[in-house]
Amino acid sequence: MDVLQFLADGFVSALQWKNLLFAFVGVLIGTAVGVLPGIGPMSGVALLIPVTATLTSGQDPDSAATSAIILLAGVYYGAMYGGSTTSILLNTPGESSSVVTTLDGYQMARQGRAGSALSIAAIGSFIAGIVSLIGLVLLAQPLSEIAIRFGPAEYFSLMLLGLAAVSGLASKSMTKALIMTVVGLLIATIGMDNVSGVARFTYDIPVLYTGLEFLTVAVGLFALGEVFKTILHRDYMNGEVVKVGRVRPTRQDLKDSAGPIARGSLLGFFIGVLPGAGATLASFFSYIMEKKLSRHPEKFGKGAIEGVAAPESANNASSGGAMIPLLTLGIPGSGTTAILMGALIMYNVQPGPLLFEDNPEIAWGLIASMFIGNLMLLILNMPLVKVFAKIIETPPKYLLPIIVAISVFGVYAVQYTTFDLLLLIGCGIAGYFLVQNDYPLAPLVLGLVLGPMIENNMRRALTGSNGDFSIFLTKPISLAFLLIAVLWLIVPLLLKLRGKKVLISEEG
Amino acid sequence: MNKTFDRYASVAFLLIGAAFVWESRKIGESSYGSNVGPDIFPLGLGLLLIVLALRLFYEVMRTKSDNGPSTKVKLDYKRFLIIVSAAVLYAYFLEDIGYVFGTFVFLLIGFQVIERGKWLTSVIVASLFSIGVYYLFVKVLEGSLPGFPVWMNIG
Repeated sequence: MDVLQFLADGFVSALQWKNLLFAFVGVLIGTAVGVLPGIGPMSGVALLIPVTATLTSGQDPDSAATSAIILLAGVYYGAMYGGSTTSILLNTPGESSSVVTTLDGYQMARQGRAGSALSIAAIGSFIAGIVSLIGLVLLAQPLSEIAIRFGPAEYFSLMLLGLAAVSGLASKSMTKALIMTVVGLLIATIGMDNVSGVARFTYDIPVLYTGLEFLTVAVGLFALGEVFKTILHRDYMNGEVVKVGRVRPTRQDLKDSAGPIARGSLLGFFIGVLPGAGATLASFFSYIMEKKLSRHPEKFGKGAIEGVAAPESANNASSGGAMIPLLTLGIPGSGTTAILMGALIMYNVQPGPLLFEDNPEIAWGLIASMFIGNLMLLILNMPLVKVFAKIIETPPKYLLPIIVAISVFGVYAVQYTTFDLLLLIGCGIAGYFLVQNDYPLAPLVLGLVLGPMIENNMRRALTGSNGDFSIFLTKPISLAFLLIAVLWLIVPLLLKLRGKKVLISEEG
Repeated sequence: MNKTFDRYASVAFLLIGAAFVWESRKIGESSYGSNVGPDIFPLGLGLLLIVLALRLFYEVMRTKSDNGPSTKVKLDYKRFLIIVSAAVLYAYFLEDIGYVFGTFVFLLIGFQVIERGKWLTSVIVASLFSIGVYYLFVKVLEGSLPGFPVWMNIG
């Protein structure tokens, strides 16, 4: 059993005290990020990249990358746990994947069952996390073995598929989503071309030679964008927080939620694996499915525990599932995984099939740490749920300026230029206005991360074919990817034309 | 959504696309034997962006003004502008005034702009953050941040 051996090695790496600490800090911050309205998983992860870069600066490159990605991934799935807390106690989702949880969660809280709702959400998230990790372990090796045979043409088409999938579902207007994708790809071309060494769009400005730094753009767009939104919309005037009450769920609660948790985990996992469809869609679909399957659909919306268990399991499972295309293919399927990928690239680690060959300790260390992190989250969330509920009451007066200060510190600590700080603020303002007008940011970040790789693979493929573009169509696998990509864009358009309402996957 | 914004945005994206097309034609031919040079990718994307911008413009023109009665909350531009300007000044002068001082002042302004009052808590939180981050990063982790202004003659 090869896989078990790798996994065991991964546990050895993940159980080092410093990586345990990183995982713990990651899930702790993640939970806080999920609980705090105004910081979603994307801005949370983006904000922490520079901080982890500093924390790991003393280690050798490989173990630094392992520790950093363990922490950042912890923030990602930790946020999925924490997001339910505000949905249940405040009727305000901490992030978009917990929107449906408010429907029944808040009702339960009003009936005095907040504790049960919170603990079922934590238990469901835990089981879902484990289910999706088992899926990740089983699929990682075979998938990366297939992907390793891909040539540049196949990779180019696969990345286009990833972009198409995310753009197709990202916004009400596909045109806007596509525009954001192309803008992201174009921004990525600024700087030194890493194939020929020619400087592009730099106009002899030294700071532009390395290109616009991904980190600066991501932190600006997400973290500062959200701060500016909160200030402009006066979102910081909070409502009443409901008392938590008894934390342990009753036996009846557990019995009622076993089925929804199992179904939500599986559904969420498969939705997570698909590029483009993320945690928000997963939670939404699983809620609808439970309502359809239930013998008492009238109970939904009035405090049914199934309506908390299913979506909370699904959104956590999907965050595990989303790691599969990221780690095995090097294709992030969502904004948050794109940011994780950017972080890995900052550490000179290229996610993709080679990751499992070249840096198995990073890949398997991360997977093993996610098992541990999920366990930590369960232990943290059951008794400490009342403590986390207190975080909601952090006065935004202090929180908002501090987020700006952390962004400035983080960017400066990594980049050391005033230019990046000004770019950061500019991106924050741009991020606010773009989101307000329904221009999704996830495709832009995805384009920015994938841009250099798409271009490299395209040029390598074209160099091999003497500039003949038909190479992308004559290779069968490449053709298949392109066809799926086109379908992914056309099907929602056709559905819209026929008057169907198309669900979109908002993330933030 | 907001038609005016979309209209301006489509023009802006059109110009961005055109600029990239125009500028990428100036990039030299490939430096090695390949006939696929560094100009093709941005050139193609620029053209694509122009097409998409035109499409957006068309979509905006076609949708009737369906904004309806504006139910939007009045946006808090005053606080927003103060904080953005404070942030810009903070970023621009960070290297001159040093991290601790700059961060302290920025945070203090930020706290007070969002909600007046509680000066003592504000001062304590702002000093804890600015000194704490500086101490942790520079002294413990041995990173580098602009220290104190030269004329202050400390650390």
